[in-house]
Amino acid sequence: MSFAVEAISLTKQFGQIRALDGISFNIKPGEIYGLIGPNGAGKTTALRIICTLIKPTTGTIKIFNQDATKQPEKTRQIISYLPEESGVYPNLTGLEYLQFMAKLQSTSGTNLKATIEEAAEICGLGDRLKDKAKTYSKGMKRRLLVARALMTRPKLAVLDEPASGLDVLYAYHIREIVKRYVKEYGVTVLLSSHNMLEVEYLCNRVALIHKGKLVVEGEPKALKEKYNSENLEEVFAKVVGFA
Amino acid sequence: MLKGFTTILIKELKELMRDPKILIGMIVLPLIMFPILGLVMGFAVQSAQEEAQKATLLVIDNDNGNWSNVFVGYMNSSMNVVVVRNLSPQSVVDQGFLGKYNSTMFLEIPSGFSTNLTMHADGVWNVTGMVNVYGVFNGGGGIFSGIGGTAVTGVVGGFNRAVAPDVVGVSQSTIIKGQIEQGVDASTLSGLMLSQSIALPITIMIMLTYAMQIAATSVAMEKEEKTLETLLTTPVDRFAILMGKVSSTIIVAGAASIAVLVGYNYMIGSISSGIAGNVGGAVDLVALGLVPSVGGYILLGISLFFTLLSALALAVIMSAFSENVRGAQALVGYIYPLIFIPSLALVYLDVNSLPFVIKAIFYAIPYSHPIIAAKAVVTGDYGTVVFGIVYVALFTVVIMYIASRLFATEKILTAKLKFGKSKPKQSSD
Repeated sequence: MSFAVEAISLTKQFGQIRALDGISFNIKPGEIYGLIGPNGAGKTTALRIICTLIKPTTGTIKIFNQDATKQPEKTRQIISYLPEESGVYPNLTGLEYLQFMAKLQSTSGTNLKATIEEAAEICGLGDRLKDKAKTYSKGMKRRLLVARALMTRPKLAVLDEPASGLDVLYAYHIREIVKRYVKEYGVTVLLSSHNMLEVEYLCNRVALIHKGKLVVEGEPKALKEKYNSENLEEVFAKVVGFA
Repeated sequence: MLKGFTTILIKELKELMRDPKILIGMIVLPLIMFPILGLVMGFAVQSAQEEAQKATLLVIDNDNGNWSNVFVGYMNSSMNVVVVRNLSPQSVVDQGFLGKYNSTMFLEIPSGFSTNLTMHADGVWNVTGMVNVYGVFNGGGGIFSGIGGTAVTGVVGGFNRAVAPDVVGVSQSTIIKGQIEQGVDASTLSGLMLSQSIALPITIMIMLTYAMQIAATSVAMEKEEKTLETLLTTPVDRFAILMGKVSSTIIVAGAASIAVLVGYNYMIGSISSGIAGNVGGAVDLVALGLVPSVGGYILLGISLFFTLLSALALAVIMSAFSENVRGAQALVGYIYPLIFIPSLALVYLDVNSLPFVIKAIFYAIPYSHPIIAAKAVVTGDYGTVVFGIVYVALFTVVIMYIASRLFATEKILTAKLKFGKSKPKQSSD
């Protein structure tokens, strides 16, 4: 079977610290896959490796059968990454930011105007797109960034805490958008979140990471049954021996 | 006392003093830089004095009388004198006598010298002798370049005190680019040229430091605003990102170079017109060929441009090692001594008169070259300017290569300069 993401025995060493300790997982095309775990578990390191920002110390990462370590440029053409802590250029307007990123992410067949209109619809910022980003609230910036990540309909969207800093309504709006993109455009989503409700609502499968190791993986419903838990938070607490 | 003032003050001081970049940049560097500057200047004074003591004074005796022999004998008692006879000053220059005797000046005892002194001795007090001193103006400037000329004037003064007050006068002339300019005092000219040799290095120093501060923010701002990770995951060649950043600074560098040259040209014009009035029209820098030609200005502009480019590229690289704008600006501060030392030192010194090792160090520092070039274009020494341009261009290529390698790897995200013993810190989440 061909996978959207194949992570094989990934390790990453930062000096004395082993951030990832031989994790392996696969993501199917069109799937929403969640990486969950406490702070410092290694989630962001895994996402950064998948997005070609850093290289694994050992192991292999394949994105749609391309080795992301050996062919980072090709990989970047089919992915879109939304970091947890991400910002926008303060002196560009929201619209200029979207135009700038759309040009960088576009291919020869991209309709830039349509892409930006789509981003405007996702973020829902309306006329505020004409204002400089430094005048935006944290939530407005996040909406702009989510729109940027999805506007090009990437084959793989890597979203680190996509609804971070958003109010309830916009968090809901973004989740619906993510679901729609998966359904309508076949986008594969790799998601990392501390919000277990969000993960449970969105993800087809989840992986629990703890101290750089993948400790359990499966469908949210199956995991809850297996650990006799009411929600994923409880599952996680039981798996790591916290409860 | 304002409530809370002391508490805030102590907290601010702790933050500042515990930041090793600030501590090193603001306290340690000045403590190192100024002693180095002092050492260089000390060397320059010492070498200028030694040169003056060792220098051979070429005396052209066109008088061949008793008094000229007495005068030469007196000179010989305190200086190393070589006498040639019956030559015009210009032929001394043309026949390469100065190079032959490793001298930068000569003294002519004109015909009639002994007759005048004999008349003076016989009571015709208003008749005195005159000797002509010809000094080579090398354009290198330096406040110590006049030491040799002062030594000659001092010896003539000694002769006057020994024989009769003011019995021998001194007329100063200058040899500029192989041509004798009668009545132009080399030390006066050096003093006048010093005014421009101060302005340009100071301007370049300010421009370089200011431009580097701006360039240093280019990558650091991306890190601080958390936009770098997103940018690096776009399907754009990393070298294009680097070149985009550096090219924007190239445009700024180009504009800055032109602004400096326009201002410099205006300043030279002002100095020239000022001199014409002050010295009775005797010194005209344009007429003397001491104003850069159009080609000289172009070369100076190219030199400035490449120096700015290399400095800005270096600032971009250094900013990659910092997590925020403040850290980046502190980091580029470590380069400042390499700008300040040549700028300040070359105001006072002629690089060509320095001992070989110090001279080599100045030539090795890329930021010396526009200052050296500014002096060299005045004298038409274009070879030195071209050498500087090629050297700085090569330095820039090396810097750009290092920058491209840095941008191509994860070091652009993870590289940090560490000071002291710090525990390894890395967010793994």
